[in-house]
Amino acid sequence: MIADDDVLLREGLASLLGSSGFDVVGQAGDGVELLTLVRSAMPDVAIVDIRMPPGHATEGLEAARVIREELPDIAIVVLSAHVEVDEAMELLAGGERLGYLLKSRVTDIGEFIDTVERITAGAAVVDPALVRELVSARRRRDPLDVLSPREREVLGLMAEGASNSGIAARIFVSEGTVEKHVRSILGKLDLPESGTDHRRVLAVLKFLEAR
Amino acid sequence: MRQELSALRHRIADALMLRSPASRRAAWVLAVVGPAIVVLGLLPFRSTVGLAAFLSGALLAIVVVAVLGGVWPALASAAVAIALGAYFFAPPYDSFSVDRQGDIVAFVGFAIVGAVVGILIDQLAGLAKQQAALRRVATLVATAAAADELFAVVTEEVGQQLPGVERARLARYEPDNSITFVAAWPLPERGFPVGSHWKLDEEDISAVVSRTGRPARIDNFDDRSGPLSANARKLGVRSVVGAPIIVEGRAWGVMIVGSSVRERLPADTEARLSSLTDLLSTAIANAESRSELAESRARIVAAADETRRRIERDLHDGTQQRLVSLAIELRAAEGRVPSDLPATKAAFSRAARGLTDAVEDLQEISRGIHPAILSKGGLKPAIKTLARRSAVAVELDLQVERRLPQQVEVAAYYVVAEALTNVAKYAQASVVHVDVRTGDSVVELAVRDDGMGGADPSRGSGLIGLKDRVEALGGTLTIAGGPGKGTSVVARIPIDGKPVLDAERWRAAQRRS
Repeated sequence: MIADDDVLLREGLASLLGSSGFDVVGQAGDGVELLTLVRSAMPDVAIVDIRMPPGHATEGLEAARVIREELPDIAIVVLSAHVEVDEAMELLAGGERLGYLLKSRVTDIGEFIDTVERITAGAAVVDPALVRELVSARRRRDPLDVLSPREREVLGLMAEGASNSGIAARIFVSEGTVEKHVRSILGKLDLPESGTDHRRVLAVLKFLEAR
Repeated sequence: MRQELSALRHRIADALMLRSPASRRAAWVLAVVGPAIVVLGLLPFRSTVGLAAFLSGALLAIVVVAVLGGVWPALASAAVAIALGAYFFAPPYDSFSVDRQGDIVAFVGFAIVGAVVGILIDQLAGLAKQQAALRRVATLVATAAAADELFAVVTEEVGQQLPGVERARLARYEPDNSITFVAAWPLPERGFPVGSHWKLDEEDISAVVSRTGRPARIDNFDDRSGPLSANARKLGVRSVVGAPIIVEGRAWGVMIVGSSVRERLPADTEARLSSLTDLLSTAIANAESRSELAESRARIVAAADETRRRIERDLHDGTQQRLVSLAIELRAAEGRVPSDLPATKAAFSRAARGLTDAVEDLQEISRGIHPAILSKGGLKPAIKTLARRSAVAVELDLQVERRLPQQVEVAAYYVVAEALTNVAKYAQASVVHVDVRTGDSVVELAVRDDGMGGADPSRGSGLIGLKDRVEALGGTLTIAGGPGKGTSVVARIPIDGKPVLDAERWRAAQRRS
């Protein structure tokens, strides 16, 4: 299910997803239409633009919240032209199977499809550009200074929502090594060990935002 | 030391010249007591010192009385002195008869001198009072004080300065042939309350003044019609004089002084009124042109901002969307190119990549034109984002818990953005402190760095444009700091639309004079 008020973009996404093995069951032009279609079609994942009529502000977030309340099994990917950390945190507070991506991310087809599949399978994802902005913020007494460069890399990937195995694949180490790094990071930054990946993402995001 | 003495001298002079009711009472008391004291002091020596000494002492007392209370107590004092002198110091002693011719001449001379001294000092005191009043009003005008305060002070001065005046009122003409009272003295004014609105009858003093554009007087209210005159009669006002306040060739308002006695107000009241009301005209003209200027500046800035917002919206909704869609189509096309045409595939891929980069560039530009986060989330998240993207470490202290008017948020955002950019470009600093504090009526921002300092406001049009933008809203922007001491950019922007007084500049000007 795709919701975006820009017809061109919607059609483009539809054909892209269609040719990548997805079955596009509906297209909506605003939040109300989206909710109606979702309730009737019950898709596996809904891809929603954050900015839709009538207000062109954060209708997408609002729709995501409603969908999450009524039909919690549906994965939701929110696309936005600008990524803002407050919106990411608001969205991801809804649990797992949620993603917050830059709209331009869709042009990297392979990665985009991969991300959508990960989200549908249960991950929580934050666009790497947002994570990069948060991590690279310069502080005088940076709490991140206690981390080694490798640990900083792992932290970034954690914030993006990658699972331990995903991180292992990205930086070419074993999953065991990743687990060690993660424990060390959580310990150094005094973050709680959380059971699920999505809670971890939220915790890291909150930490990065507040520092 | 010299400054303190001078200040003390000024304060004493002011107090003495004030002629409060207390000092007047004191004058009358002293009129009798003064000469009496001189008598007591010189009595044991009367055979040696004689009348002359007594009269000299009494003259001193008269001077003090004149300063405290004016001509009449002084004359009374002279009379008392003559009586006491005749009784105690002119032979035969202890009787009112005066034998010596010389003594009689002395008394006459004393009476003349005493009267002259009394009158002269009275005039002097009056002039000093006028000067003090003018100075007080001029100060208010110069500091661009709030209109209400200015009106109240001038009305009070008018009431206190002009002889015979018991009450004074200042009214502003409204477009529908009515007036609004904007100040009154003495307070509390119950008859014509400040802020009350009255329709003008053509015989009212205000109407006459407005019609003729010149001062006018009514010496008798008995046969006047209209609600204003009726109210005046009820209050016991019997005669009034009104003088117009002329601003830019039209009658802006009228200053009315009244007395409870018919035909009481002296003939020169109109002239004396004018000197004070002229100051008022200047002040009002100043204030009006200043506020017009400020308003037009604000309009220009607002128009420019609106354009920028529109451009950002168009860019976002139109161009960026289209480019992203195009990139997707290109990618889809790339996918359809058969794998035995690698060069073609690669060409599509490059084109798609180029498009995506262009979109990112557009996003950066769009953020520079107008950051969407500012409209959506307000100052706090916008400044936090600025801080994150700053090349120099930023320590934030943001106390902004509510949304502010749009132009205020935009101005504040650009101050911080430009200041941070300058720090990154020139300062070679290790840290920048950004403090934002929101009060009830003013938001205060400070961007301080620990870099090289020596910021030159004329270098880099960014800072000058900021000053214009901030001042257009009635705020102030100050850049301080010296070589080696870092730079600080401090802006104070009013939230409620009332201009921020540049207190520092005024204090500095005061010190210089």
